[in-house]
Amino acid sequence: MSPETGREIALSLRAVSYTYPGSEAPALNGIDLEVRRGEIVFVTGPTGAGKTTLCLAASGILHHEYGGALEGAVAILGKKVRDYRNMGEIGRDIGVVFDDADAQLIFSTVEEEVASGLENLGIPRAEMQQRLRDVMEAIGITDFADRAPHTLSGGQKQRVAIAATLVLGTEILVLDEPTAELDAEATGAVSTLLRRLAEKGTAVLIVEQKLNELATIADRMVLIEGGTIAKVGSPAEMMQDSVLRHPAPGNIRPPAPAAASPCGVPPIVSVRDLVHRYDGVTAIGGLDLEVAPGEIVAVVGENGSGKTTLVKHFNGLLRPTRGSVIVDGLDAGSVPVAELARHVGLVFQNPDTMLFAETVEEEVAFGLKNIDPRSTGEPIDAALSEVGLLHRKAAYPRSLSRGERQRLAIACVIAMRPRLIVLDEPTTGLDAREAARVMETLGHLRQDGHTIVMVTHDMLLGEECADRIVRMEQGRIVGDRRTYEEGLCPKLCSISPGRAPFTASTRSPN
Amino acid sequence: MQYITRESAFHRLHPFTKLIFAIVVVLLAVLTSDIVMLAVLVGAVVAAAVVGGLARDLLRQVPLLASLAVSLLALTVLTIHNGEILGYLVPQSVPVIGGAFPVTVGAIDLAAAMSLRFAAMLFAFQLFVISTQPRDLVHLLDRLRMPIDYTLMLLIALRFIPSLQLEGKRIHEAQLARAYNPGRGISGKVRGLFPIIIPLVSNSLGKATVLGLTIDLRGYRSGLRTPMRDLAPGRVDVAGICCMGVVAAGYLAVLLV
Repeated sequence: MSPETGREIALSLRAVSYTYPGSEAPALNGIDLEVRRGEIVFVTGPTGAGKTTLCLAASGILHHEYGGALEGAVAILGKKVRDYRNMGEIGRDIGVVFDDADAQLIFSTVEEEVASGLENLGIPRAEMQQRLRDVMEAIGITDFADRAPHTLSGGQKQRVAIAATLVLGTEILVLDEPTAELDAEATGAVSTLLRRLAEKGTAVLIVEQKLNELATIADRMVLIEGGTIAKVGSPAEMMQDSVLRHPAPGNIRPPAPAAASPCGVPPIVSVRDLVHRYDGVTAIGGLDLEVAPGEIVAVVGENGSGKTTLVKHFNGLLRPTRGSVIVDGLDAGSVPVAELARHVGLVFQNPDTMLFAETVEEEVAFGLKNIDPRSTGEPIDAALSEVGLLHRKAAYPRSLSRGERQRLAIACVIAMRPRLIVLDEPTTGLDAREAARVMETLGHLRQDGHTIVMVTHDMLLGEECADRIVRMEQGRIVGDRRTYEEGLCPKLCSISPGRAPFTASTRSPN
Repeated sequence: MQYITRESAFHRLHPFTKLIFAIVVVLLAVLTSDIVMLAVLVGAVVAAAVVGGLARDLLRQVPLLASLAVSLLALTVLTIHNGEILGYLVPQSVPVIGGAFPVTVGAIDLAAAMSLRFAAMLFAFQLFVISTQPRDLVHLLDRLRMPIDYTLMLLIALRFIPSLQLEGKRIHEAQLARAYNPGRGISGKVRGLFPIIIPLVSNSLGKATVLGLTIDLRGYRSGLRTPMRDLAPGRVDVAGICCMGVVAAGYLAVLLV
């Protein structure tokens, strides 16, 4: 289905350029794009390319809510966005899902959240109830209809935000990374639903990094780079492009894989019969796990399966309701978090959760000074060099791109030289190139003797980058397998049990 | 302070009944400065919470109320010098400044009255908020012809309190994972706030923009509201309003006598 089929144009952008207030470089430059009724247009590109700005332009938000210099014309169902009175009027024609699911959840239960927009459409109650049921079932959120949105996992929240938009039944959908935090099953459900909506005539503009899962449902793919459209084509054509293909991180696993038991090395993480309950919900229900020094372990599972809850026990942010967690010889159930921080580094999913300093250097120094006030600048430079940010040492952390901020968050942790590094969804929101770069950094860190545990819903990432995949479901481990053929571990068994030597300067380059 | 999913007597009341309850308590609280009467009022609100099965949720506000009471007491002791002197903050035996800051009955009475008044209002408002779904609140205020901007402001404020708490907790955890240790002393405490406050403000500003856009896009200004469920007042509301009437009448009678 191509634009040449003559279907009515639902959304059009003509020569759209936009520069944010206070910025000199345009975020969008001469964008020409049309989305026809029943068409799915998939937009992708590197982080910072202007994809989110494109969504804001297409949905009239730049015109009605933002300052800055906007040129060109945007039309929704043939009506220019400037002719709409406000965003409320635009909302009757366009449904928008933003990339921050948290901020879109307003109400106190999931059902109330999804129903909230429906109640403002002036449609009969019976139709409202039918639509509500249909969308909640299609997105798979019926099971937690009565729960408060803020108690859900990141992926569950994202599903609720999608449902709350789809239920409005608008003729156009603009979706900004709507499935970034979703597992494969939920992503599949969303893509099926989008395809079904497109067949009924809905025009869909979707920005995503998940090429394999979502590009296949698209009619056209658009590559955006530096605020301009670099390439347009069918998904089949575009996927041949080496720029778009998921680059294999490569050389992350050492030639001979690690294995704990054959070498008799004591595990760095030992979890025994762990149970964690909060707000009457059992998040972890009796779990045993051991991680050997030097391993890269991917903890995978569906949204809400307890992955993040598990790893928060490693550095004491959560304490067991029952059972024990021993990390690097310390009882993580009782040792203070500040003490555990010397042994375990946790990189949060969203780097903006921690960035506060005036410069990149100060940001990295914060954790380091907390554990050693006499520390010098050498570990800071080494950590920044490791993640490729040494040249941005004096930059303001929040001015960095999403991928750079993620790497800065990793630098903040590795500068503290913890033996165990835990990363919660390290590649969410990153383009393939940035994701590969993060994974490459993890490979270097493992070569330097760090153990790495990463929480991810991306099975491909686990297969490509981890030694071992631990699969969780409903707070339990339901699968634990290695990604290579079993063999005796060699060099990693010789890692000293003391502090991990972070030696970016001495490590041979990859 | 946010809606709690539960099957309590308060939850079964019509939102309008609960709004009247909150307004009546506020009015009764401002009508008098008598400590005994205000204590009775606080007791009545707590008793209503006990009957409604929400007493434990009210108790969460006690630390806030206690710190407020202490602050008010300090303020009134420093500024009000009416009535019998019970003692001095600086003992009279201290040379030169001895006898400064007398602690008077008037100061204590005023601090107690203000604390009790605030407790009554806070408890009543909390009972209203934690037992009323935000969408029912929106429908109620809409029917009462409250301008939509004010309704949305209230909705966003109610939504933002737990959101800020959650974001603050998340940021605190992220900094704890970097061995964050709030400094000692006042200057240390102030400096120690930066790693929390800066990301909290930056992230909240971004979230506020998205939240405002979401509300607009969901058509809250369309004026076409059809509640998903009809909330009609029932017998329990009649009984509740009768109880409130009796308590309020008795309260006013005592005040007037």
